[in-house]
Amino acid sequence: MPAARQTIEHVETLERYKHGFVTDIDQEFAPKGLSEETVRYISAQKGEPGWMLEWRLGAFERWRALEEPVWARVKFPRIDYQDAHYYAAPKTKAAPKSLDEVDPELLATYEKLGIPLNEQAVLAGVEGAPKYAVDAVFDSVSVVTTFKAKLAEVGVIFCSMSEAIREHGELVRRYLGTVVPVSDNFFACLNSAVFSDGSFVYVPPGVRCPMELSTYFRINAAGAGQFERTLIIADRGAYVSYLEGCTAPMRDENQLHAAVVELVALDDAEIKYSTVQNWYPGDAEGRGGIYNFVTKRADCRGDRSKVSWTQVETGSAITWKYPSCVLRGEGSQGEFYSIAITNNRQQADTGTKMIHLGANTRSRIISKGISAGHSSNTYRGLVSAHPKAKGARNFTQCDSLLIGKHCAAHTTPYIEARNGSARFEHEATTTKLSEEQLFYAMQRGLSEEEAVQLLVNGFVKDVLQELPMEFAVEAQKLVAISLEGSVG
Amino acid sequence: MSGSLHSLARAIETGDVAELPSRHDEDWRWTDLAGLIRQLPQPSAEIEGDLGKGPFDDLVGHTVRIPNGRLSSVIAMTGADSCLAVRVVGRGAGAHASHPKLHVDGPFTLLESYEGEGAYVSETRLRLDIRSGGDLRRIVLCDEPADAVSVIGADVTLAPGARFSQTVIAAGARRQRIETHLAHGGGGAAARLDGVYLLAERRHADITTVVSHSEPGGFTDQLTKGVVRDQARGVFQGRIVVAQGADQSNANMGHHALILSERAEVDAKPELEIFADDVACAHGNTVGALDEEALFYAGQRGIPETEARAILTEAFVGEVVDRIEHDGAREVVRAWVAARLRSAAADV
Repeated sequence: MPAARQTIEHVETLERYKHGFVTDIDQEFAPKGLSEETVRYISAQKGEPGWMLEWRLGAFERWRALEEPVWARVKFPRIDYQDAHYYAAPKTKAAPKSLDEVDPELLATYEKLGIPLNEQAVLAGVEGAPKYAVDAVFDSVSVVTTFKAKLAEVGVIFCSMSEAIREHGELVRRYLGTVVPVSDNFFACLNSAVFSDGSFVYVPPGVRCPMELSTYFRINAAGAGQFERTLIIADRGAYVSYLEGCTAPMRDENQLHAAVVELVALDDAEIKYSTVQNWYPGDAEGRGGIYNFVTKRADCRGDRSKVSWTQVETGSAITWKYPSCVLRGEGSQGEFYSIAITNNRQQADTGTKMIHLGANTRSRIISKGISAGHSSNTYRGLVSAHPKAKGARNFTQCDSLLIGKHCAAHTTPYIEARNGSARFEHEATTTKLSEEQLFYAMQRGLSEEEAVQLLVNGFVKDVLQELPMEFAVEAQKLVAISLEGSVG
Repeated sequence: MSGSLHSLARAIETGDVAELPSRHDEDWRWTDLAGLIRQLPQPSAEIEGDLGKGPFDDLVGHTVRIPNGRLSSVIAMTGADSCLAVRVVGRGAGAHASHPKLHVDGPFTLLESYEGEGAYVSETRLRLDIRSGGDLRRIVLCDEPADAVSVIGADVTLAPGARFSQTVIAAGARRQRIETHLAHGGGGAAARLDGVYLLAERRHADITTVVSHSEPGGFTDQLTKGVVRDQARGVFQGRIVVAQGADQSNANMGHHALILSERAEVDAKPELEIFADDVACAHGNTVGALDEEALFYAGQRGIPETEARAILTEAFVGEVVDRIEHDGAREVVRAWVAARLRSAAADV
């Protein structure tokens, strides 16, 4: 049985989490703990203007009055917010002008992760160098952003949030916190006080961003949390496709990642936001891993605007996030395509909110959840239509697949229709892999593991095809690796 | 069992409004009693005089009456194929609660009705124990006054191999909540939980079900349909839980609602909580207006629009009514539904 042997060898050699290494680099930290001082320290490190510090301090004041929410279907010991570093950055020269000035150790890290930071290679057409611009965020700071100059030629601003606050203060001030208000929720409020870095994108009216933009988030430092903040604005008639990826080292401790992502789409604008989330999920016994408590929201402010969220969630010990669309503009559209895979002891409580405020708004939700091992996977979603959202339409499909006897899959959709012309459809199924299909695939010579992968890939196909080409392939592999060891 | 520590019955018994469920209790988010009732009324007085005739009186030999929460005798249901009517009648503006218990170990039909007048506050919570070999058909007609606040609960245990089918018909009230908690015994046991709500004016009805499959081999089939108009609000919450080890559970849930006015509202939460892998569970939910094409078709055939709307709405709800197994009760319900839809249509 050479095929069987090959499969066994293949499985043995495959690393379970190949991004779990640590980069040994000199870093500076904020002292452990969270106080007004910490907030001032972060703001000072980033050389921020006064208004930004005021904003942060206001958020911190409100955060102190908030209680950590407990409604999600996830279990974890209480987080000690005083036992973490809120700022960790590689010791490096301020604002490197070019790649040559970036610490080679950092460049090596991104190379190892397969993230193309070398513009020359891309421009020279080196084989395998994908052509997209990258903002690389390492712990609390953005180390480099590529293709900035090229994007600036068409007026697109793509830079780190810190730089945007310094260089494009007016734009940031106009939009920051308008989609996710400071005290929206406990974690968003914490983020507003201590956010470190993230990406800022502004696409001017009528411009179709000439290349894919992406941000790669890397947690490296031990005992530190990451609090990124991303803001994307597509002005009238603009289009941008943005992708984020994320990984972290393997550690026994849990690390908190509490990000806020705000998207603003004006008239006729379109934003496509894709996430391949592969934070360290913890080991098979559930030790370690990232707590991924993220607030992502899009405001379809303009008429006929459109926002599409696509997410592939395979990592994190706990995922707790609901990328949402506020469909304010007349005829605006929201889409949510999600694959959430949990294995071992992972827990995910994820889904979306489609809030129909404007007339003739449309939304579509396709969610595929897969649970294996001892994991728990919840789809939680809200579709609501305001009395003024005449002719609102929604279609939701959420399917769950269970692999094994000890996992759990839950579906909790909320539907609120407040006017007579809204039309909402929702369907959901929960099943295990079909024995018949497995049998058929194995009859054709596939091992059980391969057969499962084949069927799972078929199950998530509707979502994978929404991803940009380069990432669809990567995501497909990720799906297979995430489910490793879940069969037999 | 209700997932919430607060209950209307306890608030009525203690007179303490802090016991009332509020929108902060996840299972009560759309039926907020704490926000509605600032002070609990005095306990209801005894009803004097004749209670009149109940909707199912002609179908049964014996009717148990529970006037203002006063239960005169223990309800026992045993023996051969039999049928019992239970009338829960509220009158006045007081508060009352009652907790009837029933054991079922043969084929049985229970015809419940909730009626009355006034702005009473009441909770009726039934315990139904369906033992091995039991087969209970429960029809619950909730035709309460517009000013009442009423919670109608049932905690049902279903033994392995037993059967349970229920149809709830709700007209709403100021707040009306009909909740069923079913502990499903599996082993081939089958449950059907259906519901209809027809709401007008500012009425509110909430149909909540929690079905817990804790043993392998259980079947559950649910279909709820609702029609809301004016400023009425319909709520449907259905939860199916399949515990670890409860393999070969098969559960289906459907909720479909028609909104016939601009200011009516429907809120729905069809939930699946699955801890076993060898299961087939599904739910479907739709909310919308009447099908324009069907209306156009009816118009083409010369049917006036009001008439066409009534026919289509009746057909929409009829699917649930048709599933009632007891012939007599089905016809009573069908006539009640038709009268209600026609009178509402005539108002338009």
